[in-house]
Amino acid sequence: MIELHLLILAMVVSFGFVFSYLAMKEHDLLKALALSSVQSTFFALGFYILAAPDIVLAYLAIAVGAYTALVILAISKTERFEVGE
Amino acid sequence: MTLKRDTAVALSFLLAFLVLSYAVVENDVMGLSKNPLRPLGEFYLSHAFAPGEMTSHSPEVVTAIVWNYRGFDTLFETFVFFLAIMGTLSILRLSGGQEDMVRDMERVEPHRHMDLIVQVITRLVLLMIVGISASIALHGHLTPGGGFQGGSAMAVASLLLFAVFSKFTLERRGLTLRHTLGAYAVGISIILLTVYAPLVLGGHFLQINLLPGELGLFDLDVGEYLAVSFGFLSVFLILGVSEWIFRRVLRGELR
Repeated sequence: MIELHLLILAMVVSFGFVFSYLAMKEHDLLKALALSSVQSTFFALGFYILAAPDIVLAYLAIAVGAYTALVILAISKTERFEVGE
Repeated sequence: MTLKRDTAVALSFLLAFLVLSYAVVENDVMGLSKNPLRPLGEFYLSHAFAPGEMTSHSPEVVTAIVWNYRGFDTLFETFVFFLAIMGTLSILRLSGGQEDMVRDMERVEPHRHMDLIVQVITRLVLLMIVGISASIALHGHLTPGGGFQGGSAMAVASLLLFAVFSKFTLERRGLTLRHTLGAYAVGISIILLTVYAPLVLGGHFLQINLLPGELGLFDLDVGEYLAVSFGFLSVFLILGVSEWIFRRVLRGELR
């Protein structure tokens, strides 16, 4: 017997996995950052389904807001495209 | 060729995840379903709001654990954050003369002017975010949330200010590094005072349930709220100096 909320949890976290993989493969660092914030939105949904609202509040604000801004500031001090391979 | 390999890698990750979750949920590999409530969890649930020696005066068990039963964890996390901010400050510090040079160069730097619509909407949204973050933080001992969560929401509000109005506008209105660091210090001192107060009342360090009512948890939430929001804002103010200005000042080209 599979319960509905567990099914939704599996779907949401799989989407998060896909987006984190895409973020790793992306050479444009700004695009990778956008992909990683989509991934953290999915993981935040997962935490909400797991009934952890405390984590959701901190995770969304940090992962989508503060972390993204800090990395954008760091990218603005270096280069936007990853080179090599 | 590489696309095929990428797809294979991604699909195998997904497959591994699905097999693992199926094993945990359906076949009970880790034995989670046999033991729905462990003794430690039972202790927290039955003592957090009940009167007695072990109480935290809080119906919100997560906050009770975070600031009372596992208070040292959170206290040391606060100090890790403190060290991170001090590290940023000491790596990117400028002398008094250099700060004046940065201010002069930022004055002549061309500023982006956002649309009037964007500015007005941002002001409205900003009010809402500040209200919500305050309610998350000040209600932290009653409803889900707490100082760290509220503080990080507040950090997002300050980021919006950064994006729509420039850093220079903020500093002209009085939100300088000196002021944000002052507010950060106030937050840290509220936390330290609350943590040391039980020693005066004859208890142990961090035994905040000796304080009247939920005052201990409330004070710690307020202190953490101030510390996190203004700590993040100071880091943004330091990192927000344009790179070409920073380089020119460090090389001493302007004189």
